[in-house]
Amino acid sequence: MRFAKLILKNVLRNKRRTLLTVSSLVVSLFLIISLATILTEFERGTDEANPLRVVTRHSVSLGFLLPISDLQRIQTVPGVKAVMPFTWFGGIYKDEKNFFANFAADPKKLREIYPEMKMSDAHWQAFIADRQGAVVGEKLVKLYGFTPGQRITLKSPIYNQEIEFIVRGVYTGGDEKTLFFQHEYLNELAPEWARDHAGLFSMLANSPDDVPRIAKAIDSMFANTDAPTKTESEREFAMSFQTMMGGVKQFLYGIMGAITFSLLLVMGNTMAMTVRERTKEVGTLKALGFKRHTIAGLFLGEAILLAVIGAAIGITAAAVVFRSVDMSLYIPNFVSFVPETETLIAAFVLSIFVGIVSVIYSTYRVTGLTIAEALRSTE
Amino acid sequence: MALPVKYNLRNLIVRKGSTLATAFTIGLTVAVFLMVMALARGIDLTLSSSGEPLNVIVVRAGSTAELNSSLSRENFNDLIYLDGVEREGEKPLATGEIITLIYKPRKGMSQGSNVTVRGVGPMSFKLRSGFQMASGRQFQPGLTEAVVSKRISERFQGLDIGDKFRIQTTDYTVVGIFESAGKAFESEIWVDVNSLSSTTKRDSFSSALLRAKDQNALAALSKRITDDPKLRLKALSERTFYEDQQGTASGALKGLAVFISFIMAVGAGFAGMNTMYAAVSRRTKEIGTLRVLGFGRFSILAAFLLESVAVALIGAVIGILLAMPLNFISTGTSNWVTFSEIAFNFRVTPDLIISALLFGAIIGFVGSLLPSIRASRLRIVEALRA
Repeated sequence: MRFAKLILKNVLRNKRRTLLTVSSLVVSLFLIISLATILTEFERGTDEANPLRVVTRHSVSLGFLLPISDLQRIQTVPGVKAVMPFTWFGGIYKDEKNFFANFAADPKKLREIYPEMKMSDAHWQAFIADRQGAVVGEKLVKLYGFTPGQRITLKSPIYNQEIEFIVRGVYTGGDEKTLFFQHEYLNELAPEWARDHAGLFSMLANSPDDVPRIAKAIDSMFANTDAPTKTESEREFAMSFQTMMGGVKQFLYGIMGAITFSLLLVMGNTMAMTVRERTKEVGTLKALGFKRHTIAGLFLGEAILLAVIGAAIGITAAAVVFRSVDMSLYIPNFVSFVPETETLIAAFVLSIFVGIVSVIYSTYRVTGLTIAEALRSTE
Repeated sequence: MALPVKYNLRNLIVRKGSTLATAFTIGLTVAVFLMVMALARGIDLTLSSSGEPLNVIVVRAGSTAELNSSLSRENFNDLIYLDGVEREGEKPLATGEIITLIYKPRKGMSQGSNVTVRGVGPMSFKLRSGFQMASGRQFQPGLTEAVVSKRISERFQGLDIGDKFRIQTTDYTVVGIFESAGKAFESEIWVDVNSLSSTTKRDSFSSALLRAKDQNALAALSKRITDDPKLRLKALSERTFYEDQQGTASGALKGLAVFISFIMAVGAGFAGMNTMYAAVSRRTKEIGTLRVLGFGRFSILAAFLLESVAVALIGAVIGILLAMPLNFISTGTSNWVTFSEIAFNFRVTPDLIISALLFGAIIGFVGSLLPSIRASRLRIVEALRA
């Protein structure tokens, strides 16, 4: 630590260069944190899946519906605590740009099967009491200003239908960008091919240990019908959505790798310039009796200091920006957009790593020169 | 008087380490830009090339995709004898098709995706160009046989010749692999429409495809069908239909490309600025000498800008070379309108290459503007004394 002051002075010697290098670090780290947060969001569905929740769908495709009469039979399976129909309506609010998820469900069961949805008793009662009722997440309120009592029309290309709902409550928790309405109301208005059918059945098991047995029991129950089922835990179900995206994850990792590599080049280039310019000084220091490793330590300290400053600003910026501006409002399917603490720590470690690696080669070369060679340098 | 270009090139060679590092930084930025744009372009090209110019597709009014559309056989029989539908001999060039999905695991994974199965009739092959068998044979009408596109067969398990797959409760046997010149059908499995109709216990078609006699007939036909209140159908050119589907996925990718490459460009610009400031300060004496020799301020400015743009262009070329091999990679993602797989290739097209070069040059120019201005403003006496 004797040299801390010298390192600091060195960093401040060429203020413009320090500023530019740190800025480059800051924007790159900001970008890496943004991309890592996108990856976190992709995985949220599996990471936060409720181990008690089970989903049954048509074994062929999500595009096919299941007869609603399956519900009674599923209810009889031991270990199933509650089950309800759950159907993707795909309704569009005014314009296709206003994308948000909307499902038909059973309002009496919704609260039990999705305990993460928080809403006042009065709102729950109002929702259950109104056939035409719907509940919306807090974020939809922020985006479109929905208020209880308001009438909303959603137009579904799938059902070729416009349905009007009355907002009966606003919930928080879970995916706050979803609208739920009564399955019975959908059934009443649905075209013939969709009547008495549901897209999925969502259920709650008594214990996580029951889940595999329940899944097996349900699937064998319907195996020889016209609509065979595929039953999975919520986690497995979410995972199948992730694989549907194909190589997106690897693609993002590739981009993050490219950014890290270019950061290494930027830092490496800056540190090489810095170290080379001081070749003569290295000669002087050596002549004064400083050991090679002490001089190398000075350069290393300088690189680490730059990396720490860059990381501190970049990480703070990302944390502050994404906490104050909720990006998830604007990205479909994203429940939130806040960098995880792990991501921020990883970004910090990455920055230090880049700092250290960037200075190794030039330091090795310059500090290895003899006093005479170093002093004779023309840099 | 302008400085000879040789002067710039020599300078770049003298500090080759620094030149290369800067060039690579810009190169990586350009490569990432190209990669994401090539992905978006791949989706665009696949979908926009899929429609035949004179084909009219008819779906249920309000449907955005064939999957959620339905059209009765009676309606179909009315449509095909309308004026403006091209005929081959006595027979109208028209076909009714059924679309369904099957869930298949990807190769090397336990999870998978939905693959589109299209029930086609004999006219389907005449209405679409570019269809050809790559191996095996065509399915026989009336049998539960299927031909699978090459890309789907390569990406999913159990879809090679001889394999069986299940649609609802019926097993279909794969008898051939086909290609269709990069169109959207390369993400599909084709079977006989009548077999699929009995398998799925569905009498109606998903969609109808008609060939119009000419462009005028196409417009008139589309209008006539769409405006008929009894039919409740929507007719539009097949080309427009596919172009409308590409919106979301490629739009999101382009947004991502702009966001990532802009931030990376800012980072690379700062790095370039650093390099150029160092170059200017190292060559202060040299600049003084040049000025004494009679080179003007503007020549100095131009020389430094040129040097930096040259480095950036080298970088852009590196970036393009890094991104080029992507042209051979085919990938796939889900079409979120239909929940089914679309397979496509990355496409690094000439216009993307030009924008990549331009992008690189702009980073080089903007990054070196301040240092170059500084170089041109140095006062001769002070410069020589440095």
